[in-house]
Amino acid sequence: MKKLGILAGICLAFLFISSTLDASDKTPVKGELNMPENIKAIIDKSCFGCHNTDSKNEDAKEDLDFKTFDSLSKVKKIGALRHIAEVVEEGEMPPKRFLERFPERKLTEEEAKTLTEWVKKEASALIKQ
Amino acid sequence: MKKLLRILFIVVIIGAIVIQFFRPEKNLGTSTPDHIFEKEQVPENVKTILKNACMDCHSDQTNYLWYHNIVPVAWMINDHIVEGKEELNFSEWGQMDTFDKIGALEEICREVERKKMPIKAYVQMHKEAKLTEEQVAALCTWTEKLSEELIGAE
Repeated sequence: MKKLGILAGICLAFLFISSTLDASDKTPVKGELNMPENIKAIIDKSCFGCHNTDSKNEDAKEDLDFKTFDSLSKVKKIGALRHIAEVVEEGEMPPKRFLERFPERKLTEEEAKTLTEWVKKEASALIKQ
Repeated sequence: MKKLLRILFIVVIIGAIVIQFFRPEKNLGTSTPDHIFEKEQVPENVKTILKNACMDCHSDQTNYLWYHNIVPVAWMINDHIVEGKEELNFSEWGQMDTFDKIGALEEICREVERKKMPIKAYVQMHKEAKLTEEQVAALCTWTEKLSEELIGAE
């Protein structure tokens, strides 16, 4: 009877651990991005909708996937950051068609500046690492 | 009616002759020490790919074909060159910072892998610009390696 109790305990512990692991897979996006909160907020508002693994926009997620961003190699990360800086500075992103449907997702001048400054700082830190 | 057609034909011919005097300036700069081939150790196979498929629009030296001198073809070619050099000019490689260089290298690989570069119109006229899978792989291996070296050099 005691052995059965131990076995049940092990099974319960195993179930608990596996459920925790499963939950971590479904953590909200914000937790997966290793970046300051203000940057996360900007990305969540204007970029993440299309640039994530579960997006239906194949081109967008092929270009940049924020869900897998942290697992990219240093070179790929710098390349992606350069791309972000370029499209934001040139006002190419978010795309005009998208903004026609969701005008509230447009980056304000201040947000665009904050994002590009962070991108350059982050890239510079990666290059010097 | 015949007379009208004749006048129209003459006007078109005269117009075609007149526009020949409005050719854009040719992209025939001299090679500078800032050129990527001067700044980086580029393997011969990659150099060949870059020369055959990229340099005409992404450097200060374009190899013109005879019909590129004829307007309006000359205007179209010039637009491609201006746009290409705005995106990336290998002749100015030495003036770029590491961030821009790595960004450009990543983009080179991405564009050729997705067959967005070289553009179709260019490949139709330059058969040697059509990249094989091996050439794309060689290009991407080189861009990755050079990026790593650039980071290491900082």
